[in-house]
Amino acid sequence: MTPQGIATVARQEFRLRIRAGRWRWLLVAFFAVLLGFTVLLRLGLSNLPPQEVPFPGTVLYGGLMLFVLGLALLVVPALAAQSVNGDRERGTLAVLQVTRLTAGDIAVGKLAAAWGTSLVFLALTAPLVAYAMAQEGVPVGRVVVVTVVLALLLGTVCAVSLLLSALLTRTSTSGVLAYLTVFALTVGTLVVFGLATAVTAERFTASPEDYCPSDADIPPDVPQPERRHVVDDCLAQTETFVMTRTRTDRTWWLLAPNPFVVLADAAPQLPEPPPGIVVNGPSAADLDPLGQLGRQVRGLRDPPPPGRGPVYEDPLEEPESQAVWPTGLAVNVALGVGALVLTARRLRTPTRTLPRGQRVA
Amino acid sequence: MTDVLGGAEPASPLPSAGGVVAQGVRRSFGDVQAVRGIDLTAAPGEVTALVGPNGAGKTTLLLVLATLLVPDAGDVRVAGHDPVTEPDAVRARMGWSPDVFGLYDNLTAREYLQFVGEAYRMGRAEAGRRAAELLDLARLPEHADRPVHTMSRGQKQRLGLARALVHDPEVLLLDEPASGLDPRSRVELRDLLRRLARGGTAVIVSSHLLGDLEELADRAVFVEAGATVGEHRIDALPSSRAARPWRVRSLDDAALVRALADAGHEHGEPTSAGVEVRLDSDEEAADLLAALVRDGVPVVAFSPLGGALQAAYLELVEDER
Repeated sequence: MTPQGIATVARQEFRLRIRAGRWRWLLVAFFAVLLGFTVLLRLGLSNLPPQEVPFPGTVLYGGLMLFVLGLALLVVPALAAQSVNGDRERGTLAVLQVTRLTAGDIAVGKLAAAWGTSLVFLALTAPLVAYAMAQEGVPVGRVVVVTVVLALLLGTVCAVSLLLSALLTRTSTSGVLAYLTVFALTVGTLVVFGLATAVTAERFTASPEDYCPSDADIPPDVPQPERRHVVDDCLAQTETFVMTRTRTDRTWWLLAPNPFVVLADAAPQLPEPPPGIVVNGPSAADLDPLGQLGRQVRGLRDPPPPGRGPVYEDPLEEPESQAVWPTGLAVNVALGVGALVLTARRLRTPTRTLPRGQRVA
Repeated sequence: MTDVLGGAEPASPLPSAGGVVAQGVRRSFGDVQAVRGIDLTAAPGEVTALVGPNGAGKTTLLLVLATLLVPDAGDVRVAGHDPVTEPDAVRARMGWSPDVFGLYDNLTAREYLQFVGEAYRMGRAEAGRRAAELLDLARLPEHADRPVHTMSRGQKQRLGLARALVHDPEVLLLDEPASGLDPRSRVELRDLLRRLARGGTAVIVSSHLLGDLEELADRAVFVEAGATVGEHRIDALPSSRAARPWRVRSLDDAALVRALADAGHEHGEPTSAGVEVRLDSDEEAADLLAALVRDGVPVVAFSPLGGALQAAYLELVEDER
């Protein structure tokens, strides 16, 4: 495998894509949809009183990024899912394989072209991101991290689609399976997580410490002596109940590879106002769609409380939930790298075994 | 590359002698035995024809030689290297053109050849120079900058051949290069391949069209049902031995038919192309021609139907049955 070999294949693939012509309309449509989304979201935000959305950029950016990911996942499988078997069908693959290009050159070059094309789609969001940044609440560091994570996620989808095109003889089959893979990553992880969580739920005997409200659970307008009274009365009971609780701390990893989860959780959390300081209206963190999703999935990792513990505990001293995105991103990257290695292996010639119905040339 | 073998039946060249040596090649796909024992040698400086009906295993054998398919059994050397264990060494010295074009419709001929040159690790400038040379060689300069999909079948075929020549290979493998070509293109193909062979290239051409190969090839290897069934030098074909039809055309059909009947030859009805006569040998043909001329029959054409190669092939196939 040489850089020149990879570049030769990638350049060629790019040129063929550009010549094919369809891409123009696809890019136009892609941008039009994103633009429509951004405009409508902005209009919706401006209908709210300004003190409720002090950081419209945060909402705009987070919403836009989740939307872009969803839209890109609809487009990207098509970029690579017919790359290898399409070449086989047209008889152009074997002609490349007898040159001095290695299987690795061809696999990496094809991935580079597909991934590069998917990044063109991502680049289309740049003006809209700039628009969001011009409003308040979008730190540059966050944009950098989110862009890198988005690019990696799209690369994974490209690599898996490419592998399917190398494994399967028919282009229509690999196309359908590429979309099914995306479906499995997005909806499938959610369904499996939900089912696994239901199956692993456990029954436990709840003592008053488990079921009594804590100080924080009582509405703030109840005056202090009365609050303490309510809690103490409850804790004085001796009755126990058999209750069911989910153990998402054991199943959270099933949800971790979900691209939306990875993206949301990897986005750096926005600063909360310092504790004890009362702010008028919501903070940027409260408004952030990415941060909210991230906090929710992190919360899944928390083990169930070992009982109520000290009731008057300071909520600010709660331990931080652990991040989910490192696991999810690692799974995705491993999937992509594995797919690339298998693609290269599948392209290696001379071939010993040949799948049914597949021609060499 | 200067080792041009001539003379009689090929002595089995050493594996390191260049060209192509294949011995006992077998390859099956599932239950189907596509190749079940092909022996083939192709010396540098010669055009070797691989002749056989469709499905005889020609394409499969060429795929093995072209480093695309691992044979189940057999020893293979292409340009002195083993295509299974040293594919890159073989690829650097071997050019292959499949029976499908395998071109990209949206590229121009020049862009395509340049791309293939780069795939053979040439620099961009070098690949560009080589593309220009090959466009001249393949007689495509006027199509150099037009997309492939505007080209005719013959032009695509020539472009496919030029592609196989990009890296100036020692061994050239062509699968059915003449199919679908018009007569002029065939003559050009023949001239080009003869020229390459003179330059020391070992050329293997597969075909089921015998007429084309006779003028093109130095040797013919016959394959049927996946096995080598015979091997001939074209110039030493035992043509005189074979009984075959001849065609005689005369200005006076009546006189011709009368003369043939008098001489006791079995003959067909006169047509605009002439009269067919079945003759047992070349000697008999020479005698008949002499007799016709002596008798004053105005003969304008006297030629065997089907070439010597076809005769040898048919004889071989008949022997098999």
